[in-house]
Amino acid sequence: MKTLNRILLVVAVVFTATSCQEFLDVNENPNNPESVTPDLLLPTGLTGTAFANNNELNRFGSTVISVTAGAGGSPAAYDIYDIDGDDFGNQWRFELYGGALISFEEMIKSADAIGASAYSGIGKIMKAYAFALATDTWGDIPYSQALLGLENTQPVLDSQEDIYKGTDQIQSLFDLVREGIADLDAESTAVPGQDDVAYGGDLLSWKKAGYTLMLKMANTISVKEPALATSIINEVLQNDLILSNDEDLNINFGTSQGSYAPVHEWTNISTFAADLIISTRFVNLLQSKNDPRLPIFVTAPTGEFITIDNGFAGQRPLPQTSWSRFNTYVTGNGAGPVRLLTNFQRAFIMAESVVRLGIAGDANAFYQEGIRASMSLAGLTAAQIDQYFADNSDEVNLTGNVESDLEKILTQKYIAWTGNGIEQWTDWRRTGYPTLAPHQNAGGIDPNQRPLRAQYVSQEVARNPNFPNNIFSNIPVWWNE
Amino acid sequence: MKRVLLSLLLLVFATNEIWAQSKAVTGRVTSTEEPEGIPGVNILIKGSSSGTTTDLDGRYTIEVPSDQAVLVFSFIGYKTHEERVGSRSEINVNLASDLEDLSEFIVTAQGIERDERSLGYAVQSIKGDMVSQKSEPNLLNSLQGKLTGVNIVGASGAPGASTNINIRGITSFTGSNQPLIVVDGIIFNNDTDNTQNTLFGSQPANRLNDIAPESIESINVLKGPAASVLYGSRASAGAIVITTKSGANMNDKTEITVNSSVNFQSVYGLPSFQNQFGQGTQNDFNNISTASWGPAFGTPGFETVETSFGTTVPYQAFPNNVRDFYQTGRIVQNGVSIASGNRDDNFIVSVNSSLQDGIIPESFFNRNNVQVGGNKKLNNGVKVSGNVTYVKSESRNTITGNGGSAFGQITRIPRSFDLVGEPFQDELGNSLFYNPAQNHPLWSTQNEFLESTVDRVFGNFKVGYDISDWLNITYRVTADTYTDRRKAVSRIGSARTPAGSIADDMIYRSELNGDLLITASKSNIFTEGFSASLLLGQNINQRNLQTIGVLGSALNVPFFDNVSNASVFTGSGEFSNVRRLLGYYAQLSLDYNNYLFLELSGRVDQSSTLPAGNNAYFYPSIATSFVLTDAFNIESDVLSYAKLRASAATVGRDADPYLLNTFFGTAGFGNNVASVQFPIGVGGANIPGFLPGARLGSDQLTPEFVTSYEVGGNIGLFNNRLSIDAAYFFTRSTNQIFNVAVSNASGFDVQTTNVGEMVNQGIELELNGTILESGSFSWDMGLNFTRIRNEVREIAPGVDQSGIPGNGFIGLTPSIVVGQPYGVIVGNAMQRNAAGELLINPLTGGYLPGIAGQVIANSQPDWLAGLMNTFRYKNWMMSVLVDTRQGGDIYSFGMVDQRNGGTLAMTGVDRDLPRVLPGVIEVGDGQYVPNNIQVPAQTYWSGLGGLISESGVYDATVYRLREVSLSYNLPRRFLERTPFGEASIGFSGRNLWFFAPGFPGDPELNTQGAGNIQGLDLNGVPNTRNYGVNIRFTL
Repeated sequence: MKTLNRILLVVAVVFTATSCQEFLDVNENPNNPESVTPDLLLPTGLTGTAFANNNELNRFGSTVISVTAGAGGSPAAYDIYDIDGDDFGNQWRFELYGGALISFEEMIKSADAIGASAYSGIGKIMKAYAFALATDTWGDIPYSQALLGLENTQPVLDSQEDIYKGTDQIQSLFDLVREGIADLDAESTAVPGQDDVAYGGDLLSWKKAGYTLMLKMANTISVKEPALATSIINEVLQNDLILSNDEDLNINFGTSQGSYAPVHEWTNISTFAADLIISTRFVNLLQSKNDPRLPIFVTAPTGEFITIDNGFAGQRPLPQTSWSRFNTYVTGNGAGPVRLLTNFQRAFIMAESVVRLGIAGDANAFYQEGIRASMSLAGLTAAQIDQYFADNSDEVNLTGNVESDLEKILTQKYIAWTGNGIEQWTDWRRTGYPTLAPHQNAGGIDPNQRPLRAQYVSQEVARNPNFPNNIFSNIPVWWNE
Repeated sequence: MKRVLLSLLLLVFATNEIWAQSKAVTGRVTSTEEPEGIPGVNILIKGSSSGTTTDLDGRYTIEVPSDQAVLVFSFIGYKTHEERVGSRSEINVNLASDLEDLSEFIVTAQGIERDERSLGYAVQSIKGDMVSQKSEPNLLNSLQGKLTGVNIVGASGAPGASTNINIRGITSFTGSNQPLIVVDGIIFNNDTDNTQNTLFGSQPANRLNDIAPESIESINVLKGPAASVLYGSRASAGAIVITTKSGANMNDKTEITVNSSVNFQSVYGLPSFQNQFGQGTQNDFNNISTASWGPAFGTPGFETVETSFGTTVPYQAFPNNVRDFYQTGRIVQNGVSIASGNRDDNFIVSVNSSLQDGIIPESFFNRNNVQVGGNKKLNNGVKVSGNVTYVKSESRNTITGNGGSAFGQITRIPRSFDLVGEPFQDELGNSLFYNPAQNHPLWSTQNEFLESTVDRVFGNFKVGYDISDWLNITYRVTADTYTDRRKAVSRIGSARTPAGSIADDMIYRSELNGDLLITASKSNIFTEGFSASLLLGQNINQRNLQTIGVLGSALNVPFFDNVSNASVFTGSGEFSNVRRLLGYYAQLSLDYNNYLFLELSGRVDQSSTLPAGNNAYFYPSIATSFVLTDAFNIESDVLSYAKLRASAATVGRDADPYLLNTFFGTAGFGNNVASVQFPIGVGGANIPGFLPGARLGSDQLTPEFVTSYEVGGNIGLFNNRLSIDAAYFFTRSTNQIFNVAVSNASGFDVQTTNVGEMVNQGIELELNGTILESGSFSWDMGLNFTRIRNEVREIAPGVDQSGIPGNGFIGLTPSIVVGQPYGVIVGNAMQRNAAGELLINPLTGGYLPGIAGQVIANSQPDWLAGLMNTFRYKNWMMSVLVDTRQGGDIYSFGMVDQRNGGTLAMTGVDRDLPRVLPGVIEVGDGQYVPNNIQVPAQTYWSGLGGLISESGVYDATVYRLREVSLSYNLPRRFLERTPFGEASIGFSGRNLWFFAPGFPGDPELNTQGAGNIQGLDLNGVPNTRNYGVNIRFTL
């Protein structure tokens, strides 16, 4: 009996000391919050969108469109049209869907919950921007079933046509922007401040950006769907658009490490600076037009422009410090900005729309407005711009011939977009302008065809059975068919 | 000293001999090793309690009651010997040594000692001398080739680099598959704390490296769940139970043991290089090219060339430019231990030191251990014991990985570049390298490194009391805690972080365990020969982890390695977690006549990491053993011993902490091309940003289970001169807690859920035999063989492949794939036609683009085998271990780099001749013609494929002379006039030779170290060959 008592005593002591559920109640995560407010998601979404536009996709776009040339690494492959499913995985996974897009999606949810419709409005406009970037790059993509988390872990692809035009079930990108603009007009319990790294909380500017985005998207589909494009352009012309350079939708970065715009880091900071040099063709193009923006866009450390031709396989110039690279107009010493929608873009789109679609207006005036806006943005004074116009009247005047006018408009737009390779690539794919010669040593899947799309990302193909395999980069997307 | 004590002891015994006997017997006890006589041998008269021991010369005298008396001679390390007295008055005995005797008692789960014959599952026992003094400071590495069912792969030859160990295959999709390590009852942390990206960082140690091999008495490997069920969830991957040396076997002597060794390391396993062609491409010299496709040496016009520094140098090969980058490493080990006592009252104090300078300049791993322990049986019958070890481990390694690291560059050294003969930095300390975008490897070793200082304390404290002769109650508390203070420095000018960065990390881990153990055991209950024992236990467990890191980047002052030197601190942060577990366990062991055994075990765990209210889970095991030779009284010179065993067990495993919800985290974008990390500084303001985490949580998680069945047997033949141990096991893992990859278009990357099924089945075979025994010469051989087949049977509905969590390159994903073994590499497979022929692009003569998402490599070997030969001649002993790993693949960045770069020997052969890539060209209508498009050698070798492609996959089959050691024990007569009790000197070498038919170097590399991602050589450190000398003596 004594023995048993001793056992019971020990057992009792041990068990009373330990057996409560409180002991096990330690699974609250001290490292990460379960919810955050919209102002903590807005900078993520804006920065993420700019990052997607300005990082690897820009290295690709600027190279494939003969602004930069690949001196090594992935850009050397882009330069010879060599892309496949292993390219742009990070952009798809972590910059767009798992970055900007999910941030906007969650921001809209948390804003709707507290009646912060200003955040919802910005979120919807930017979501449309990011989805447009994705579909323009990859073609058909998950859209109506995307970003649903556990509700749909294998979303189907929607056709690019449906994404732009909408169906009974699928909200078009245009309607998404319209909804966002309506939210901006609604009463909001909270408005952004410095967390809005584009406009500092100026909602009127956001509305202008919204309508300008619709203009841009209408322009994108205007070759394939001229009637729809015309009606949308006529609709947005009833509203405020971006009409001056200081209304541009610019995403601002910083001048310290970890805050740099990607283009600054891969141009001036990281080892990947060895991958890219300015293309000889780009320098030749601007020199042929006596363009005063050349030294503003491109550096010449030795006083000369040290460049290589696209696809050139020989010895790279030495030393690397002599290379011509993007200048501070593009990099901003890290601060950027990354230009997503601009005044010059609006003017060039209007010029093209007048010529191509017969939208009411003076194409030549829009064309010249675009050149002036770009030159002014580059820092040229009005007097310098006037001088250029006086000295190069052939360049700055349209002739009335549709094809040559389109070529002029899109070539000047291409020059103005220096530093945003994705916009340049999309315009070229749509219109075939500017006229670009094939790159040396072209290879890839089709040495005779500059890439028309990005191939679906291998990892996504592996995870989502809805994806077809191997749509190669020489197949055009819907609006380019 | 030993002899003095022994004499005192003998005196005590002598005075005890007070009864009169009817007959005196005298004699001498000797052995092969001790021909002059063994002192201290116990001699008992069988069936009585009276006896004596031998004196210093091995002589004894004993009074026996009659001629019928039987004398039993026993001494530790020797086979017990019996002699019937008969009419003799002098009986001389030559005892046979019996190393098997020592391992017959096996330490099983919860420190329970069991007779080997009673076990219904496989346990393999390794004695301390198998792992100490073997030129190898890493305990796990020293077990390579010696165990069945166990796969051990070291990361590299970097000092302290981690080693992966899996017992009986992989049983968990994402949980740790490393076995539980238990040291003297202490649950011993063997984690590998990766604070850097495992693709690019330096290779940190697994923390079992904190154990000094010299302090180990024995290692028992509990292979299956049946063996380890009492340890609970964490032993589902098996357990390694280590017992350190103590004073318990000292027979009341006091012994001071001194060990000393010095070993040297040299680089090993480098491929052969060509020495005919130098730097450049397309047969032209290019002074910043990473390749060696330049002109042949001696080509007119290329007598001298201009370097990228502007100097003019002869154009010639530097055949040893890669090898000479490495230095001779050195390992100096010293240890002293003082042990004394007997089974109940004893103590040990030991100090061990291991100082290693690695083969990489500046790298080191130093470890210093101090251990104090003892047992005491108090007068009131309470038994108290405790053991505390303090370890300080310090290490430094340089970063590794593709591109900007010493090892990313060492595979891109042109054959004509004088790597070690020219200065690697200028007078300001800036790197000087042919490639201005990268750093000289020697500069990297000095300026890009990770230093780690670990302070670790582990110990146990145990109080036990025999309430009666059949009932014991014991409480045991164990603790293991360490802090690892790390400093990762990339100085200004580093290729990956040109502005420089310093990461100070403090990793703190601690584990506390309290175990209440109540044991009851009775013999001859119910019926004669039937014994039973019952164990009831309760476990309380807490594990803490905290990592606090400060990441300072954009440094200002060169060579000032302090975070105060930094301008940006956005990567700083804290991560911590805590988990707790309550376990209740029981084990009933039944024994019938010492030949039929049955063991029933069960455990209930309650875990903090599972959903509250549904956090308890039960799992049982049953094991049985049947000794045929005893049951049927088989006494034969041929069949000496036969045992059958069988077991079935299930072990449950809980989740990691905080998996039940989806969380937000600080946002960041990008990789090494460009990156942004919130908070970002924009226009003078610091702007925070958060991002939904990539993982979707689940509040429905349930524990995962591993169920295992095992049958096996032991057979002893020819008086146990040949023994065979064979086992077959089948393991099924279900309900895995897994982060299933989801479409990224969902906005997330993975989803935590219970899914899947995976099976392992395997055969283990162990043969031990004495091949030759003649006079003072003997030759023992031990052969082990392991063959394990693993198959992922199911992942999740609609998911047939998913990546394994960890760092990876896009397009090269270690994965689980239905129908494939765990951990296959999914990447780009070459396009083939129906006949399996490779398809050629008719426009280029190169291969068509690969197809993504295909299984391209499997790192799991087909089978493993090791053969240990031990030769003894008088006082000499020599052991030779050869082993082989058959099959399995390795994916190697290094080899692809060197093949594409034209440095491997094979790329120099017939370089001027055109070549045709093997494959076929489609000509329409499903018809193919053989490829006939000629391409130059450079296009051919690089056309085989770049870094991310099937062409980086090699067969990892390797044969290896793993370990050779030779030792000499000084005969006692030499030592009689010295203070030494024993003295020995030994020579040993490791990795002395290898042959890998399918790989140009040594395929035993594993860049990501211990963990679930295996089979990748991503520009890591090569292996080492070690050799040295050691001495050991006792006082």
